[in-house]
Amino acid sequence: MSDQPQESLPTSKVARAARFAKTGFKVGANYVQHYAKRAVGADSPTADLHQANAAELYGTLSEMKGSVLKVAQMLAMEKNLLPPAYAEQFRQAQYQTPPLSGPLVVKAFRDAFGHSPSEIFDEFEPQARQAASIGQVHFARKLGKELAVKVQYPGVGASIQSDIAMVKPVALRIMGLREETLRPYLAEVEARLLEETDYKLELRRGQAVAAKCGHLPHLQFPTYYPALSAARILTMDWLPGQHLQEFQATNPSQAVRNQLGQALWDFYQYQLRELRQLHADPHPGNFLFSTTNGGTVGVLDFGCVKDVPPLEQQQFLSLLDPATLANPDQLASLLTEAGVLRPTDAPALREMYLRTLTQSLELVGRPFREDTFDFGDPAYLKSLYALGDDLLQDQELRQQREPRGSAHFVYLNRTYVGLFSLLTELGAVVRTQYTA
Amino acid sequence: MEPTLLKPAYLDYLRRHGHAPKTVFAFADAQGITEGEFYRHYASFAVIDRELWADFGREAREQAAQEPAWQGYGAREKLLAFYYTLLEILKNNRSFALLTLGRSQQRQPSLVPKVLSQFEADFKDFMAGLLHEGRTTGEVASRPFLQDGYGRIFMRQLQFILLYFVRDESANFERTDAAVEKAVTLSFDLVGRNTFDSALDFGRFLLHKRS
Repeated sequence: MSDQPQESLPTSKVARAARFAKTGFKVGANYVQHYAKRAVGADSPTADLHQANAAELYGTLSEMKGSVLKVAQMLAMEKNLLPPAYAEQFRQAQYQTPPLSGPLVVKAFRDAFGHSPSEIFDEFEPQARQAASIGQVHFARKLGKELAVKVQYPGVGASIQSDIAMVKPVALRIMGLREETLRPYLAEVEARLLEETDYKLELRRGQAVAAKCGHLPHLQFPTYYPALSAARILTMDWLPGQHLQEFQATNPSQAVRNQLGQALWDFYQYQLRELRQLHADPHPGNFLFSTTNGGTVGVLDFGCVKDVPPLEQQQFLSLLDPATLANPDQLASLLTEAGVLRPTDAPALREMYLRTLTQSLELVGRPFREDTFDFGDPAYLKSLYALGDDLLQDQELRQQREPRGSAHFVYLNRTYVGLFSLLTELGAVVRTQYTA
Repeated sequence: MEPTLLKPAYLDYLRRHGHAPKTVFAFADAQGITEGEFYRHYASFAVIDRELWADFGREAREQAAQEPAWQGYGAREKLLAFYYTLLEILKNNRSFALLTLGRSQQRQPSLVPKVLSQFEADFKDFMAGLLHEGRTTGEVASRPFLQDGYGRIFMRQLQFILLYFVRDESANFERTDAAVEKAVTLSFDLVGRNTFDSALDFGRFLLHKRS
């Protein structure tokens, strides 16, 4: 499924909705099979069912490029929200979307600059080198410099809202999530997606982050070229390096992997503590890894940058502080401040929240409490996901109809889960204490 | 007055007023020629409408072919390049397109608007050339009898795209660009070698065995 070229692309909203309906039916059929098998005593574990459903869902989503794909990716990042089988299928979506045709790329350039790419650059490869989630990346050369030129699919911005409206009911039903769980999340996703279609904004942010983080060791940021960029076209340096999976296939040494992991960790610490601004999309497609100078990380794609308000930053940092976890009263008052606990809560409910949150914090904050942390141990990430699954299954918690806490935490959470999963894949040992 | 200037003058009037001049006399008079002189070049305003459309098509083909990448394009990409160039031209003449297409759509929505007759005839020739080229490069499958109908498929596609453009309300008509991309990909998937040919081949093989 994953290596087949995608052919027919449903055009209209009706056609796309029809595809969703079809998936709904198929998933329904999978459930029927599941229960039928159970009824006759055959062994049909729920994991199988999730696997089958995920394959169906992914098959449908992969035919609809653009923002649906992006939503799928973002949900994939949030493994806590998804059963692992779904998440795995969605992760495949990161590298594949049907390409824009050569003439459409030319048209995008003519729209933006009044010239075709061959007139603007000394050399322009008509075949895209990579697919980005809402566009594709071409290789170009000008004045001896190697450039990456990102070109956006047409009409992406216009279709985001209708796409999200379509994803929502399907996501609710198929993934067994409650609407309250999903709503703040989808709202955030929509806001970020709309920002992401604005390449001019991305250019400004990319320049700003590169200027502020340029001094951090073993990181590399591309230079952006405003004169060669527009709303739907973004030109930057072509960074050397490979995506995580290809890089891992070259068997880099532990020292290299540690240095790469350290660079990533320092980058995120610096952003959270000093800049209060996060590159909030740490999926593997946004980083390039190379062994230059013992391991260098190239940072791409500043489409999704999250500003963290000072109050939330302070709350988040205090929650990660080891002293907080050791002192239940302090934790309770901090959670009340953050709006997770309310004075009106019944004692039993309060007790339940405190118990689950202590449990989550103990796990999520673990790397922050130690001097060095070995992300190479997959057991850690597994227990993190397991916790997410447990929380989803928890009857008491499911009965709470309202979400608690700030919507900003959604992104902080996503960013750190993403970062942790990158570090785990790298298998890096990281010095986690922050030194300003 | 040069006949070449009548066309732009008429187009200008049409776009400014939202309708054709009330009479040929009024128009000719405003251009400083007699009504009789007008008829030496055009029998009616409708004829100018048709010629304007044909001009757009020709311009689009010529402009698209000037693109340096054109030589490296296959048939599918050449068709795409034509459509995108045409849409660029139509964007600058959208008022005219809406007026002429909208009018015939109201009168006879299911029929090919007469105003496109010359434009479509030219497109047919262009398309026949592309399909021929596609057959030599293997992009288009040779299917005796069936392939005679290809022209009609692409004609319907052209009409679909024009109507989509007329109804499109997205900024800079980006949805139309997406529609073009998808429609052309689909059509070339249909005329390219696909499951159908393998099925036919298989069927033929079975028949031969029996005899």
